[in-house]
Amino acid sequence: MASFDPYSTLGVSTTATQNEIKSAYRKLAKKLHPDLNPGNKQAEAKFKDVNKAYDLIGIPENRGKYDRGETTEQQEEAFRGRQRGGPFYHESQNNSGARYSTSFEGFDPSIFESLFGEEVYQGRRRSSRGDDQYYSMEIDFNTSILGGEKEITLPSGNRLRVKIPGGIREGQKLRLTGKGDPGNGGAPGDVYVEIKITPSLMFRRVGTDLEIDLPLSISESVLGAEIKVPTVDGHVLVKIPKGLSSGARVRIKGKGVPSAGGRGDQYVVVKIVMPEKIDSKLEEAIHHWSKDHKYNPRAHWEKS
Amino acid sequence: MSKIYKLEEVARIFEVDGELIAEFIRKEWIQPIEPASHEFDNEDLARTKLILELIEDFGVNDEGVPIILHLIDQLHGLHLEIKNLK
Repeated sequence: MASFDPYSTLGVSTTATQNEIKSAYRKLAKKLHPDLNPGNKQAEAKFKDVNKAYDLIGIPENRGKYDRGETTEQQEEAFRGRQRGGPFYHESQNNSGARYSTSFEGFDPSIFESLFGEEVYQGRRRSSRGDDQYYSMEIDFNTSILGGEKEITLPSGNRLRVKIPGGIREGQKLRLTGKGDPGNGGAPGDVYVEIKITPSLMFRRVGTDLEIDLPLSISESVLGAEIKVPTVDGHVLVKIPKGLSSGARVRIKGKGVPSAGGRGDQYVVVKIVMPEKIDSKLEEAIHHWSKDHKYNPRAHWEKS
Repeated sequence: MSKIYKLEEVARIFEVDGELIAEFIRKEWIQPIEPASHEFDNEDLARTKLILELIEDFGVNDEGVPIILHLIDQLHGLHLEIKNLK
């Protein structure tokens, strides 16, 4: 009798009200009921203890006796009359004769495949998978187009090499499987690295193509030129035909953004730039030339 | 083979009114082995005990009881299947 303390079994203080005892009992009984834990002997034993405790102190009359030390071993047993006899329901359902458990409709044995699959998965989760970790990393524009490798140092001091695929976009997250917190018996978590791209001063990304402005002098645009144009792969020599207006685009094939459908192109966009100062010589030359070379660059305005 | 109980016996075993047990049958929470004569076998008896515990000890209301019974039946059904697979 000394070893069994109904108050601590129910997790209540000796000064608890009857209501507190009742709700503590209900809470425990719900959790431990053998029909909700079929086959769990531990839960069943605890359930019996909880019931025994409630028998002893669940009714004020009995509790008074118990508190005054009047409850003898025999009476303790006698109170168990309150508890209903007979087997627990699950004990009546543990053979194939069980009518209720085998009677519900739509029972599909293939449920087990999914159930077991799930259970294996749940089992891994339950042994607590490591946490995922989130970082961000800034890369330069060229790396975002061509890809590359970069090392990051985690707060734990571990260094991680991050492989950056070519053509990555701002805000994209790279997952490094299993590089997160080690799990507690489960799989380690993942590391997610969010990519931030330092914008380029020269290149603009348009889908899988790149654009770059190509400033041309008057003479270059009039006469044509061969110009070294920067690309993400280095400079290439591009032939600019004479007579291109501002906004005209010249394609450099295969210098754009890598993608599943092959690499995009780079376009150079012509932008005619006047000399800093229009001197009298230039003025005179143009004046002379334009006298008998009238042309209307705004002809399309008049059509509409 | 298993013992058969009359409704009045069941009521006496659990110290409840026979009308309450009859109510469980009307609500189809219990489908006695002998429906016409309201005779229970051990399985019906254990189920009655479970229902009484759900209501009186756990405070489950009338809407909750059939849901819990259904889930428990599924649980036991699955346990049986697993046992058969082993």
